[in-house]
Amino acid sequence: MSVFSTKAEKIFIFAFFFIALGIPLFFNENTFYVNKISSMLILSIFVMSLDYLVGRTGLISLGHAMFYGLGGYLFAIMLPEYEVVNFWLYTFYVMTASAVIAFVVGLIVLRTSGIYMIMITLALAQMTFYFFADSTEYGGLDGLFIYLKPETSIFGLNFLDLDNEIHFYYLCLLSLFNCYLFCKISLNSRFGRVIDAIKENPDRALALGYNIFHFRLIAYVLSSSLAAYAGYLFSLQYGFVNPTMMSWEVSASALVMAILGGLGTIFGAILGVFVYESLHYAIEHMTQYWMFWMGSLIIVMVLTLKSGIAGLVEQFVTGKRK
Amino acid sequence: MDMSLFLVQLLNGVQYGLLLFLIASGLTLVFGVMGILNLAHGSMYMIGAYLVYYFATVTDNFLFAVIIACLIAMILGIVIERFLIVHLYKRDHLDQVLLTVGLIFIFNAAQSFIWGNDPLGVQVPSLLSSSIQITDIVEYPVYRLFVSVLCVAIAVAMYYIINNTKLGMMIRAGESNREMVENLGVNIGKLFTIVFAVGVTLSALAGIVSAPIVSLVPGMGERVLISCFVVVVIGGMGSIKGAFVAALLVGIVDTFASVLLPGMSSMTVYLLMAIILIFKPQGLFKS
Repeated sequence: MSVFSTKAEKIFIFAFFFIALGIPLFFNENTFYVNKISSMLILSIFVMSLDYLVGRTGLISLGHAMFYGLGGYLFAIMLPEYEVVNFWLYTFYVMTASAVIAFVVGLIVLRTSGIYMIMITLALAQMTFYFFADSTEYGGLDGLFIYLKPETSIFGLNFLDLDNEIHFYYLCLLSLFNCYLFCKISLNSRFGRVIDAIKENPDRALALGYNIFHFRLIAYVLSSSLAAYAGYLFSLQYGFVNPTMMSWEVSASALVMAILGGLGTIFGAILGVFVYESLHYAIEHMTQYWMFWMGSLIIVMVLTLKSGIAGLVEQFVTGKRK
Repeated sequence: MDMSLFLVQLLNGVQYGLLLFLIASGLTLVFGVMGILNLAHGSMYMIGAYLVYYFATVTDNFLFAVIIACLIAMILGIVIERFLIVHLYKRDHLDQVLLTVGLIFIFNAAQSFIWGNDPLGVQVPSLLSSSIQITDIVEYPVYRLFVSVLCVAIAVAMYYIINNTKLGMMIRAGESNREMVENLGVNIGKLFTIVFAVGVTLSALAGIVSAPIVSLVPGMGERVLISCFVVVVIGGMGSIKGAFVAALLVGIVDTFASVLLPGMSSMTVYLLMAIILIFKPQGLFKS
């Protein structure tokens, strides 16, 4: 079975990564836009991980930013102060540590579903937010700084310099590509089909002998670790972490982006992020009350756009209206 | 902690809990009857507080400001229900979350556009600005007592209306079986509008009465919304009785935690919630 679910997805993915590869050449002198796009790529990983959870597993989390923030914080906390560490090794540490946390949180959160899960994920994320915001040890509201960026040698080869914005851009692009592949391959596997079955009809999946709780827990841990990886990249890009990363606004806007892109499509996450962030950027430039326009946009979107931008792309490619 | 200080903290905790009940009861009522999770519920708390600030400074009459603010909140509730929420009854939770998040954005923008981002304060009305002596050195403001009494009065009125009137009967019926109520010839659309308007007005009222004892800052609505979620999760979604017990519990635990465990006070209520969830995933009073 192909990685792509539809023709539109295939065209979009090829076009997106082809253009994205050339972006730094286009903005050769101007790293401002390269940085901006790097941050959108990072956000795409985060939103994709949320889409995995909400769109495919059917578990609505309004506190996913908790893991985004934890990814950054875990790195900043584990990092020795005056030492250059290895990027790949710390990727492994951060993702393992966040997987363990996600496992424990999942044990509590997944006891519930639906409306309860929305509220509990939000409340736990707020709890983590206040834990870091109130702590003197972890820098309170100012957060922690990362003074030395890691080096990236692997088996003696060193071809990436994280202080170089272009190199960092390609690292983000590669990460997003891997994340996309991982999501699609795992969802096309036997595991993914059970996940889909559980979303469609939990009772029937249960009757077929699948342990729903185990499958949901695995999906939750996978999705949370991916979110933590995105947060880790964020902390590397900006050189700091602070509690704002896990505020409820981050979780809510990620959910908006996932839905705007087209829930459950995985590639829609990229669309959602780029459209939302571009609009945000443009409106913020025009008025300081951008929230008003974003809010109105979200409401109009809910009332009119049923299957997100991915649905529009689908219509455009196949030429038929649903 | 000596006896009088303990008493003051207990009164503070009860008063905070009762305010939380006022907000949470609106949230849980709307969810119980209509099946709608209104995330913009906290924004109505904020709007109530800012409205009373505005009218109290303009007219210099607190009571008048309270009435006007309540009316505006109720009208806002009706408008939101009639034009937006009405499209969501057949949709899933996710759409409700999105639309109401959109509303939060709009309310926050409106607040910062009209009133700015600096903290504001409201004067305690002169009639209620005195204090009661508890011991020689400890005194307790009358206004806080007044807030508690008002909240209790509203709780009693709600209890009476839900259990003894025709409207209450329809609300109870709507909670147990929505389609059946509709088939029996009750105008469910009108009932939903009333419930939603009452729900948001309760939240706004909580904002209104707490305006003189808190400072008005951007983001105050979200803070309250999240405490409210904790209350509703502990009490059981849709249960007003559960909301009452849980609100008092959260209010008292939160107040004492900030005195006894200052380092981790903001986490205590969430820990309480996590512990209760481990034993009772549906909350204390499942509806």
